[in-house]
Amino acid sequence: MSEQLPTTKKTDPDVASDKPQAGLNRRQFMAASAVTGGVAAVALHQATRSGNALAGTAGASAGTYPLAKPEHVIHSVCLQCHNSCPIKCKVYDGVLAKIDGNPYGPQTMLPHMPMETSPAEAALVDGKLCPKGQAGIQTLYDPYRIKTVLKRAGKRGENKWVSVPFDQAIAELVNGGKLFSSVPGEADRVVPGLKETWKARDASVMKAMSGDAKAVAKGSMSIADFKAAHAAHLDLLIDPDHPDLGTVNNQFCFLAGRIEHGRKEFAKRFVNGGFGSVNWFEHTTVCEQSHHIAYNQSTVPYKGQGKWGKGKHHLKPDSLNSEFIIYFGTSPFEANFGPTNMTERIVEGISNNRMRIVVVDPRAHHTASKAWKWLALRPGTDAAVALAMAKVMMDEGRFDKTFLENANRKAAKADGELCWSTAPWLVRLDDSGQPVAYLRATDVGMEAEDSFVVSRNTELSAFTPEGDSPAEGDLFVQGELNGIKYISALSLYRAEADKHSVSEWCDLAGVDEDDLIEVARELTRHGKAAAVEMYRGVVQHTSGFYNGLAVIMLNVLLGNADWQGGMMKGGGHWHEDGSKHGPFNIVKGMHPGKLAAFGLKVNREGVHFEDTTLFTGQYPAKRPFYPFTGSLYQEVLPSSAMGYPYALKALMLHKGTPVYSVPGGQAMMAYVSDPERLPLFFACDVTVGETSMYCDYIFPDTAIWERWGTPHQSPDVAVTGSKLRQPVVAPFADTCTVFGVEQPINMESIMLAIAEKLSLPGFGKGGFAEGGDFLHGEDWYLRLAANLAKGDKPGQELPQADAEEHRIFLAARGHLPTAVFDEKRWKAAVGEKWWLRVITLLNRGGRFQAADKGWKPPYIAHAYKGQFNCFSEPVAMARNSMSGKHFSGVAHYEPPLDCAGTPVEQGNHELALITNKDILGGHSRTIGNYWTQTYCRPQNHVIVAASDATALGLHDGQEVRVVSRSNPAGVWDLLNGQTKDMVGQVKVSQLIRPGTVGVSWHYGHWANGARDIVIDGTVVPGERRRGKGLCTNAALMLDPVLGDVCLTDPIGGSTSFYDTRVSLVPV
Amino acid sequence: MNRTDANIGENILERMRADLKRALDKPVEDRRWAMAIDLEKCVGCNACTVSCIAENALPPGVVYRPVTEEVVGEYPHARLRWLPRPCMQCEEPPCVNVCPVSATWRRPDGIVVIDYDACIGCRYCIVSCPYQARTFDFGEEHTDLSAHPGQPYEIHRPAFENGVERQRIPHSDKSPVGNARKCTYCVNRLEAGMLPSCTNTCIGGATYFGDLSDSHALIAELAGSPRVMHLKEELGTSPRTFYLS
Repeated sequence: MSEQLPTTKKTDPDVASDKPQAGLNRRQFMAASAVTGGVAAVALHQATRSGNALAGTAGASAGTYPLAKPEHVIHSVCLQCHNSCPIKCKVYDGVLAKIDGNPYGPQTMLPHMPMETSPAEAALVDGKLCPKGQAGIQTLYDPYRIKTVLKRAGKRGENKWVSVPFDQAIAELVNGGKLFSSVPGEADRVVPGLKETWKARDASVMKAMSGDAKAVAKGSMSIADFKAAHAAHLDLLIDPDHPDLGTVNNQFCFLAGRIEHGRKEFAKRFVNGGFGSVNWFEHTTVCEQSHHIAYNQSTVPYKGQGKWGKGKHHLKPDSLNSEFIIYFGTSPFEANFGPTNMTERIVEGISNNRMRIVVVDPRAHHTASKAWKWLALRPGTDAAVALAMAKVMMDEGRFDKTFLENANRKAAKADGELCWSTAPWLVRLDDSGQPVAYLRATDVGMEAEDSFVVSRNTELSAFTPEGDSPAEGDLFVQGELNGIKYISALSLYRAEADKHSVSEWCDLAGVDEDDLIEVARELTRHGKAAAVEMYRGVVQHTSGFYNGLAVIMLNVLLGNADWQGGMMKGGGHWHEDGSKHGPFNIVKGMHPGKLAAFGLKVNREGVHFEDTTLFTGQYPAKRPFYPFTGSLYQEVLPSSAMGYPYALKALMLHKGTPVYSVPGGQAMMAYVSDPERLPLFFACDVTVGETSMYCDYIFPDTAIWERWGTPHQSPDVAVTGSKLRQPVVAPFADTCTVFGVEQPINMESIMLAIAEKLSLPGFGKGGFAEGGDFLHGEDWYLRLAANLAKGDKPGQELPQADAEEHRIFLAARGHLPTAVFDEKRWKAAVGEKWWLRVITLLNRGGRFQAADKGWKPPYIAHAYKGQFNCFSEPVAMARNSMSGKHFSGVAHYEPPLDCAGTPVEQGNHELALITNKDILGGHSRTIGNYWTQTYCRPQNHVIVAASDATALGLHDGQEVRVVSRSNPAGVWDLLNGQTKDMVGQVKVSQLIRPGTVGVSWHYGHWANGARDIVIDGTVVPGERRRGKGLCTNAALMLDPVLGDVCLTDPIGGSTSFYDTRVSLVPV
Repeated sequence: MNRTDANIGENILERMRADLKRALDKPVEDRRWAMAIDLEKCVGCNACTVSCIAENALPPGVVYRPVTEEVVGEYPHARLRWLPRPCMQCEEPPCVNVCPVSATWRRPDGIVVIDYDACIGCRYCIVSCPYQARTFDFGEEHTDLSAHPGQPYEIHRPAFENGVERQRIPHSDKSPVGNARKCTYCVNRLEAGMLPSCTNTCIGGATYFGDLSDSHALIAELAGSPRVMHLKEELGTSPRTFYLS
């Protein structure tokens, strides 16, 4: 990074340059023309011009444009945002020259080209792709990428590093010792190596302990009996008095930001089955997790005996066939899942007068610009708007009564419906009138085991969701039988909608009543071909789960699921894990000696407080439990810092930056800065980031265009698709040798190297048992590719590549070094039988179903065919671990609440802060994309409504500091002697609701090249342009009860991004 | 509702590629290339801007396809609108005649090109263009060279603009550094049978391209739309790039 280069004076575009030109320069010309009028120069040039291809006389020739040839194309998959679009990478002389959309992919071409299309033909067609995806070239060739392993040479966060050999770094991680003896204050600190944390190593011992630990937690085994039964192995446990915390292995934690399928399963194999830790996490709660959990609870099927199964996490409108869509809290033209696929479907509909859209958002974003109506609600009142619309619909009878009266599959089928709901199911109320659970037939003396009840013309009848007899019930009923009070599930929702008049709801939400009524009526004028979509804006609230339910219920009232133009679950994917008869089933039988990781996760997700030994019959817990969610990013570090339920000893951070991306993330800095509390902290990423700068070691990672992956498809796509990311160019970072094979340094090789050093089960020679050796990261992905090439059913095998395709495949990879491509090695990994089919897959960057297979009119082809729950029994039966009170099982409106359910006080700050994701930047690493950052949008702004600006005396370009109750100073304290001001420039706007301040996310960096760091004694200077703008996460409210973590949705787990009030202080 | 068909979308890109193939079978002087931009479909994403920068390996300050953004109306009726602005490829281009060295001209198919080897960088054309379609290459690059070596996409990635493979050398005196630069409808791609990069990449499907002289071409159909609008028509430049408003 310090290579000496010619320095040039920055040229002001407004100032004329006197740069010399070939032949004749400008000054010479001016001088010449003053005398001759320039005639001589013209004559000179024209004499040489004839025959120039520019003249337009040359014929068509692809020879002048090598990027039109398939030998320069490798199809892969983007990850500049999680939408993971299929991409077409054009490589010229080993350099990634251009990234376009993959024309075979349904996300990147509408409709996409058939799989039969030859690579030569496809080379002539570039698919569409958002600007951020195209600017990926500058993430790949970011001058701040790290090439070697960096080891901390100063205090945590001091940003002084030395390069160390990969093998040394791995040995130090594994063995521990006095690793930082040269750092002041750490002379005698002994770092515990991973070999100490990898304590339980015997799968059968862990399995036995796991079962008994669960029994102890459930109260069916005493601690004493447990200790007696496992006396020889109590040292393996974190705390023998709480065996349900699991083994010491759990004190190793893997925390990932941007990770996706393929890598997810790879890392889980290492963390769970290899290392024996339960603590594998990713980051979805900073994105839109509560939206997934709301969908999940809305669709969980009843499994019998009080148990509920797994639901769908994501439905989307069939926007190619819709006539009306309401977008709540999301801009599909800029973000969501995602703009490249969603935009064209929507604008085509608007342009052809097929469809109208409505946007419900405090901000008139790009999508709102095409909307029939923009309802600028107050942040956090999404449920109020949804309930008001529902009230209009129910009061005016504008809902699909036939659909809603069906209580089970059989009844639905009789009406030509593929789905049904629990709208007519009766719910049992307690004495105070609170809903408890769905009424069981036995509750009211009916002789039907494990059955539910509907009421038809006041007659109660028992049924089961999948039973043989159709069940229909009345929608709005309540009553009492044998002293048991009951009410229909839809009535519970209606009661929430009836809590206010439409006019009161509109006042609360700050939207125009006439507009809202008009929208609600219009929504119901299109039969099944209307839909209501929501994303991040609705759910990143403490009330996120309930907001989500309220919006989903509008779709239930329409009965639109699985109908063309309604809601769909998407076409899904073929199973790369081989679980559907693939040649390599990585889920089963390919992990010899797999450890049975068990115990509480450090963030207490996925478990009820009452089902642990930490519960003594008393509330509150020390920190909340999150039984209904996962990927609970924000709670991992604060929980370990508090040691509840236990403290971590080693943390591997992969491609994530929690202190920057999590609301209130600055509260984690003290913990990650302190080696006494977090003894070993290492990261793997492409740059030194805002959080990885606090690490002990940073390993380079392969960038997206240098590595493998099998991301799944957005449910916005109606056809089946499996995308395959693969190496496109040689890796920038150094290589290493693991298990005797040279490979790039990246997440995969780090894990393989640790596995080699510790002899973790399931890696190395025979790591896949009968499935072969696991020596190189590609050994994993090539097997996934073979599974995809085979398909899920007999007859779905991709054709074998012919000689021409094989030739193109090899020619396109001529620039790749053997560390990442070696045909012999690749072929051996999948076997002769699959190799040519895998080439067909690789040549297309995946496999995609034909474009017309997404629909079976009038239905969606890949239909959900399931139940919608208007009342969530599992949630209603659970208690908030801090207050001990039952959660509600019904969609409702509530204000921002702390973890104990108390409304949040915010002092005298009055402006509601919202954030958004710009299409030009998806995550922390996109700040190095100069094409988009420098040209299109060099910085973000503090967007202030015009009327607020007038009232506050603010003007365009003025610098203001953002302050809040949690951060009255308006500053990030980096705890390394540096700070980052939360100061930004005001932009006065007509596009935001008065009383609201908008600041987009992904600017305001202090790492990722924004500030100087020292490597091997040399300063690597940061760039001011990379630190421009502001990140307001440090202003977001911390939970007043906990004080060390942001406000959080107790059900869905989403971090609260939109519940904070701020003030703007002129600087 | 009882639909019998599903809308799977119409592949406009493939239709336009077929149009392009037909045009390429004709002599160059019989082609009349034109571009249409449907403002109702433009969502202001800048995919075209970035695609063009990447395609032509453009340095800072050189932009062939800017997209301007404007706010219209006042809260709560305010909205955004955008105007992508490639070269208008005028039939009467004001930029051509002002060139003192005849380094720029209009091809028989209507594309206005610059011969970078002939351009002397006087910038008369830049000033004369009423659409600001030309920008000057000051020799800069995106990477900050005071701190870093040049990156491969800038120093080891030739562009193929005008059908000429050319490695730009930042801060040098070698063309196209020191030249006026402009959009060519990706003429090199056209001649290879590909649509302009901005047309392919548009996530809203808002950009259309083809041969106006072919009555079966989509572009010819669009040219007859009542929504057609030209920028600064009153100047008599007769732009080949037009808009659907």
